[in-house]
Amino acid sequence: MAAHPDSGRTTEQIVSQFLSKALHAILAARIPYIHGHTPPPSRHPRKRDRWFHLALGDPPPALEHPSGLIPNGVMEPLVVDILLSPRDDPTMPEAIVERWLAQCEAPAPWSPLHSPAETSSNSFLVKRTYKKSIILLRSIYSVLRLLPAQRVFKMLCASNQSYNHDLTYRVSSFAEPFSRKEEAEFQYHCFAPVETQSGQLAVSVQYRPSLSQFNLEISSLLPPMLITDYVGSPAADPMRAFPSSPSERTGTRSSTSFPLRGSQHGQPSTSAPASAPLFFNRPHSWTSGPSEAPSNRAQPPHHPPTGSYRKPAFNFDEFKFSPPFYMSPTPSPPKFSGSYTQSPLRSETAPVSIPQSGTSKVKGLRSPNLSDPTRNFLPPPSPRSVRTTDPSSQDSDSRSFRRPDGLRTSDGYSNMYGTPKGLKDGRDDSGRFSLSGSPRFTFSRSSSRISVPDDLDDPDFSYPFAVDDVDSSDSQARSNDGKEASDFGHASSSHKSQDAAVGVLVHMLRTAAPLRDSTYSSQSSKSELQEEGLGSTSSFFMSRKASDALEELQSYKSIKEMLLSQSKGKLH
Amino acid sequence: MNCEVCELKELLVEQFEIREVLRCILHTIIFHRALGLVRPRDINCELFELTYVQCGVPDVEKEIEEKITELISKVSKHPNRRSHQVCLSFYETKDKQLAWFSSKTERVYWERWFINLQIINQRVNMKPNQTKVGFDPGENLFSLEEKKLHRTALEASIRENLFQIIKFVNDKMDHLPHIPPNAEGISYPFELTILSSSESSLDMLKRMLQTGHQTTLS
Repeated sequence: MAAHPDSGRTTEQIVSQFLSKALHAILAARIPYIHGHTPPPSRHPRKRDRWFHLALGDPPPALEHPSGLIPNGVMEPLVVDILLSPRDDPTMPEAIVERWLAQCEAPAPWSPLHSPAETSSNSFLVKRTYKKSIILLRSIYSVLRLLPAQRVFKMLCASNQSYNHDLTYRVSSFAEPFSRKEEAEFQYHCFAPVETQSGQLAVSVQYRPSLSQFNLEISSLLPPMLITDYVGSPAADPMRAFPSSPSERTGTRSSTSFPLRGSQHGQPSTSAPASAPLFFNRPHSWTSGPSEAPSNRAQPPHHPPTGSYRKPAFNFDEFKFSPPFYMSPTPSPPKFSGSYTQSPLRSETAPVSIPQSGTSKVKGLRSPNLSDPTRNFLPPPSPRSVRTTDPSSQDSDSRSFRRPDGLRTSDGYSNMYGTPKGLKDGRDDSGRFSLSGSPRFTFSRSSSRISVPDDLDDPDFSYPFAVDDVDSSDSQARSNDGKEASDFGHASSSHKSQDAAVGVLVHMLRTAAPLRDSTYSSQSSKSELQEEGLGSTSSFFMSRKASDALEELQSYKSIKEMLLSQSKGKLH
Repeated sequence: MNCEVCELKELLVEQFEIREVLRCILHTIIFHRALGLVRPRDINCELFELTYVQCGVPDVEKEIEEKITELISKVSKHPNRRSHQVCLSFYETKDKQLAWFSSKTERVYWERWFINLQIINQRVNMKPNQTKVGFDPGENLFSLEEKKLHRTALEASIRENLFQIIKFVNDKMDHLPHIPPNAEGISYPFELTILSSSESSLDMLKRMLQTGHQTTLS
């Protein structure tokens, strides 16, 4: 801390910066998504972060010009009310759960601080004030994490679900006194004041010891839906771009998009205006804010409260610090991303289709089906061999899929971005200023369902056990292959070696047509194969069940054994 | 310089809770004493509904983890000892002139914190990785309800300890040494020691007085 010749101005600076930083710490620990657009992380802390040796990162947009919040100087108290506002019931009043009060009280006339001191002692006082302010700010930071409202804050930040309450705030220079009844409901914690040349810097907090009376519950719960076009689905076109808007997605899915969690990690968002406090980011989170907001949710940018504006002493560039473990077990709230093509998390794996449950045409499971774990034993076909033709299962975006990784679960994703209920600021007639804001969240759940593997209707569809990227569009080639297999089978029945028999079987499996008919029975296939030897051609089936597939597998096993036994018999 | 001493309220902990409890308390103390530039990190306790703050200095975290591991090992090796104490001391390094031509570097402690742990439900003659419930007739927690009550009580005790720490650091600031300029992270050196159950804080202070350290209880 540089020593200024004018120690009085330095004390005022300390107090002003202290109030600003305290407000920043309080809002960051209480208001979910108070931060808006955050630029890429910077390694070096800015001068603003060096104040009180506590790097809190960029202040929320509302605090960009903190001097605007203290227009009458540092002697005016700073009152921060943290409110729990019911979201769905406008008739219910919002309740104050915490009230922070920070003010610099003028020294008493008999106080040694009241009389002007020598320059050397001024410097000593300033240094002592600054050191104590550092510790006081640390204490405020710690107490914020120990109060009951911290739990509510964590729930609202970490959850992908919508609760029936919001945490909002109100900053003013006047504290409306509580009624006696309200006063009795609060507990009081007072920090030891710090002596300054301008007076005593005192901070206190009134808080509700218990928030159980508010019945914080999940307000809306979307029905679980299955992802039909996850990454890896055979019905999806690997070269197809992701939809740029929710409307391009399947109609059975919810209309909102699915922001990718952790998207644009550390990358700047491109469209959220920096002045808008409405696109919120998790405090202390190093993920950036939402890259794009839907136009119907666009909100006017926040304007700082009116009042005298003083140019800040330092540049408030962004600063990134390590993310809190606070986010550890739960994922970061997903950020809305209007364009998935911009998403760095877009999967690059091949698509795999999921058979749709509850349909008459239950397809053979050639791909992992999240909803039915028993279907996962079959390997997914290669993407080139899978095509979608079944209109009943057709989703326009069934080929746009995502891999069912940790970012996309059947629990859904939150599309969280803040929109203030009403950002009010300004002064009342008495000259007191106030500022309030509240984020509001909307949520959507990802929809996923088991889609009918459209590829089964495609005559070019290859057999699920296919291991090569066979060009299934060449049906003629396949029929020729089948013929060859048939001929080969006749020959091998008499002269084939054991290895050749197996090779023929494998070749047959590779070139086999997809199973189409649900009435297919393993017995019929077995009899066909027995008649034709190894040269049985595959039937076309419209659908099959897992049990059918199992039976088919067993049938092929039996065919193999039969061939082997035949070859052994002939050799002997 | 006066050495301020803060003795925290005793905590009844099970062996598997020692790490989380000590992390919570030690990091909170250090966060208030690491007066250099820090980037705070919120840590959610795994066992309790508590969030504490780390100063974000890797060396500090490493040292704390090592000391906690040492304590747990000691607890495992001596299951019959119930009381354990961890002492966190902040000091300054000063050169003491011994004679006309020699000097000696010594540590002058200006603040000590004593964290008192009472181990309950001790696993007798068991390896640390075994999870079988002990058969200590003294303070065994067998039922789920009792475990719940214990966990709730312990959480409240930890919270009380944290508020005690915050109150102490706010009330007593005059004894703090000067913060080095451009300090990053830890501004004051510290040491962590594990006291045996037979040696209390008072015994340790007596030992210090006998060795000539200038300390006063606040």
